[in-house]
Amino acid sequence: MRRAALSLGAAIVAFAAILAIFAPLLMPHDPFAQDLTHRYTPPFWLPGGSSAHWLGTDGLGRDYLSRLILGARISMLIGVSTVILSGIIGTTLGVLGGYFGGRTDAVVMFIISCRLAIPVILVALTTVFMVGSGLWVVVLTIGLLLWERFAIVARAATRQVSGLDYIAAAWAAGCSRTRVILGEILPNIAHHLLVIATIDMAIAILLEAALSFLGLGVPPPLPSWGLMISEGKDYMFFKPWVIEIPGIALLILVLGINLLGDGLRDRLGARTEQ
Amino acid sequence: MNAVLEIEDLRIGFGPLEAVRGIDLVVERGQTHCLVGESGCGKSVSALSVLRLLPKRARFSAARLAFEGNDIAGLGERGMARLRGDRMAMIFQEPMTSLNPAYTIGSQMIEVLRRHRGASRAAAVDRCIAMLERVGVTAPAMRLGQFPHQLSGGLRQRVMIATALLCEPALLIADEPTTALDVTVQAQFLRLLADIQRQMGLAVLLITHDLGVVARVADRVSVMYAGRIVEHGATGAVFAAPRHPYTRGLLASIPVPGKIPPGGRLGSIPGIVPRIGAGFAGCAFRARCAVAMPACAAPVPEHRLADGHRFACHLGPDGAWSGA
Amino acid sequence: MVGGMNHVIEAIGLSQVFRQRQGLFASARQVMAVDDLSFRVAEGSALGIVGESGCGKSTLARMLLGLLPASAGTLRIGGADLRGMDRRARARLIQPVFQDPMSSLNPRRRIGATIALPLRVQGTGRAECRRAVARMLEEVGLAPEIAARFPNQLSGGQRQRVAIARALIVNPRILICDEPTSALDVSVQAQILNLLMDLRARFKLTLVFISHNLAVVEHIADEVAVMYLGRFVEHSANAEIFAAPRHPYTRALLASVLTPEPGLGLPEMPLGEGSPDPTNIPPGCRFHPRCPLATELCRNQAPPRGAVECHFAASGAGA
Ligand SMILES: Nc1ncnc2c1ncn2[C@@H]1O[C@H](COP(=O)(O)OP(=O)(O)OP(=O)(O)O)[C@@H](O)[C@H]1O
Ligand SMILES: Nc1ncnc2c1ncn2[C@@H]1O[C@H](COP(=O)(O)OP(=O)(O)OP(=O)(O)O)[C@@H](O)[C@H]1O
Ligand SMILES: [Mg+2]
Ligand SMILES: [Mg+2]
Repeated sequence: MRRAALSLGAAIVAFAAILAIFAPLLMPHDPFAQDLTHRYTPPFWLPGGSSAHWLGTDGLGRDYLSRLILGARISMLIGVSTVILSGIIGTTLGVLGGYFGGRTDAVVMFIISCRLAIPVILVALTTVFMVGSGLWVVVLTIGLLLWERFAIVARAATRQVSGLDYIAAAWAAGCSRTRVILGEILPNIAHHLLVIATIDMAIAILLEAALSFLGLGVPPPLPSWGLMISEGKDYMFFKPWVIEIPGIALLILVLGINLLGDGLRDRLGARTEQ
Repeated sequence: MNAVLEIEDLRIGFGPLEAVRGIDLVVERGQTHCLVGESGCGKSVSALSVLRLLPKRARFSAARLAFEGNDIAGLGERGMARLRGDRMAMIFQEPMTSLNPAYTIGSQMIEVLRRHRGASRAAAVDRCIAMLERVGVTAPAMRLGQFPHQLSGGLRQRVMIATALLCEPALLIADEPTTALDVTVQAQFLRLLADIQRQMGLAVLLITHDLGVVARVADRVSVMYAGRIVEHGATGAVFAAPRHPYTRGLLASIPVPGKIPPGGRLGSIPGIVPRIGAGFAGCAFRARCAVAMPACAAPVPEHRLADGHRFACHLGPDGAWSGA
Repeated sequence: MVGGMNHVIEAIGLSQVFRQRQGLFASARQVMAVDDLSFRVAEGSALGIVGESGCGKSTLARMLLGLLPASAGTLRIGGADLRGMDRRARARLIQPVFQDPMSSLNPRRRIGATIALPLRVQGTGRAECRRAVARMLEEVGLAPEIAARFPNQLSGGQRQRVAIARALIVNPRILICDEPTSALDVSVQAQILNLLMDLRARFKLTLVFISHNLAVVEHIADEVAVMYLGRFVEHSANAEIFAAPRHPYTRALLASVLTPEPGLGLPEMPLGEGSPDPTNIPPGCRFHPRCPLATELCRNQAPPRGAVECHFAASGAGA
């Protein structure tokens, strides 16, 4: 059962990654090409649908499937970039605090507390509103705001690991502090961080969708899934599939990432406890 | 009939691994029976199988498993749950694994009494205090309100033994209760156990890897190696004339002050316990045995001497090849 | 031996005080883990340190290794202070073997890489390291293919051998063993003790060997120090301690060794109940609450400093 969940999660994430990487090859049409004579063509399973546009077209006659695939690329790009950024910030702070303890740790705890006092959505909205929307603005904003989970977990795990004898042995072997941290501590807390990475990735993707929905995320004509939902919201009651399709895509991707994270936690946790 | 626990041909396996390969064991009332052997030889799983606490994936069979004369091999989970902690009790090596860190000592001890005896709360509290006092815990009433982590290692062991003895069991199984302790606390603990055993007429199955402990407390001893009992007998007889090469190796590996000249070497057994799968034949000790011969790969004969002393080796009681 | 005796470890007035907070608002309590210790260890000799759990053995070991700066006193290892020393030079001087074989090896590193680590830090090349690892594995009696395994595929005794190989690969002058056999079976313990004895001669090591069992250090140590609540209450040559223990605590430790002699029964423990508490060291002689010989003098006045810290050491009363 657990294995199945892990495999399903991994399959979903792998599929999304393939879509993202090979988007230009997989898109059947140009996602930006407008065709005002074919607006709101329904997907093929509804009356009026055709195999020319499997998932129909949007209000400007652009191929919905192509936009969905390009949207996957944007979601994955944002998810991965923000996690890398926030992972670096959070892990650095957490490991330093956990390893050195004392005053360093007090400073790290203070920074974490400050970060926890910041309302993420509000600050993200304001920043993007002031700086102007754009893909990298979104990545930077979310990345700089989402590192606290990494910091907290890295700090706790580091404290636990650095009391163990093999750390003392490495120190006695003459390893520099950098080498102790990179060679002994990081590999032994990496499995905790991997789980946090999946959680934060899902959150980042949802946050981007929310920002884009509010018109403050990825600027049009780039097809972010959040933006697609936003653009379709006026037609929600007449042509529900316009928001159902990106909505379900978002749901599946986030679900897949979470399944992967849970599965990894169980697997890696069991392995290290042996 | 004085036997409290009788085991015949007990076998336990995990997947391809044969952890216990047919052991016979009898523990009598008022007697301390020691099960000795190296890590991984199957001592703990044998003890757990008596209480039916083996993991589900374990294979388990026994020709006879009787407690106070009644067969318990066929007893269901309900019946076993009634026996455990009441007529038979167990204490473990690491007290923290059997004491729940989230509850006070008192609530854990009282729970045992109420489950098995249906005692009232007040009566249970009185009995717990009396029991703690009896095992030498100072300020017992205060201890009831403390959590396990607030006690020292030695006190935790005492609390554990008090909990195990609350319902006056007939059999106590102690799995390496002193391995984590220093020598002084170990000596105190074993004294305590011996005193209580004498007062209660308890049968004790004591598991250890230290023949020094065995020498001082056991009436009978079973030496276990790779899932088999290789030598069994009255403690005095086994120590005076150990027959199996493994028993001799174990005896030689205990450091005794003044016995070996400075710079001399301790006797030791090279190598480690093998993991034994299905289809293994012959003596499991032969890879580490100093007197092994090619013929040791043949099935091992068992020799019986006086007073139930028996051992399994190709070399007979006279030290000569017994020609299986 | 005359005149030119070279002491590689010299401790003068060494102390370690921990501050321990009991609760959020309670004031910190002072834990006297090591209390004003002075001792010397001659090059090439072996000092055994024995004492109950919590008496400060590991704390002393960590101080000797430079893992823990002393709260007071001076410590010179190989004639120098570890704090100012280059970390590579320190590693060639002194190496540890720890108690818990489960946690002393990095679970994510192969055994070969673990053993090679101290050598890699010294800047030795990979090929040379591989040869050295193979040689060390042989020295400690392990098969060469172990190098490719991970720690969780090894038994406790095998792991302890790996830890010894790692410590000795840089050919250090001093080896600090903190209860290296306490977590092992007695039969495996004997293997490790024999191994340490062999290697000690072969590598010309100065050894500090910590244990809670007096019988275990007998085979290894030239001198034995018995530690109680942060102090050496008796410190003499190996033969003397075993032939004529003078401190009542040493006698209790010796009595609690369970030798394989059936019929002797359990030893009468002359020790009083209760465990020593380093946050609250008794006035007078620190051993008096558990001492069978304690008198009014012991309760009020600390015994004179010396090889045996007991008021009745000279007279041997009650022995
Ligand atoms: N749950 C389990 N799953 C698989 N194998 C197991 C399990 N429990 C025990 N074993 C195996 O059964 C054998 C006997 O284990 P057991 O715990 O009885 O050893 P032991 O003699 O008590 O050793 P120790 O002195 O280390 O406690 C070992 O090889 C062990 O690996
Ligand atoms: N970092 C610390 N902070 C506070 N107290 C400490 C710290 N380290 C050790 N102690 C205390 O110092 C005392 C001595 O500890 P130490 O670990 O040196 O004992 P030990 O003799 O090695 O015992 P064991 O045989 O259990 O390993 C103990 O009471 C311990 O609780
Ligand atoms: Mg066991
Ligand atoms: Mg210690």
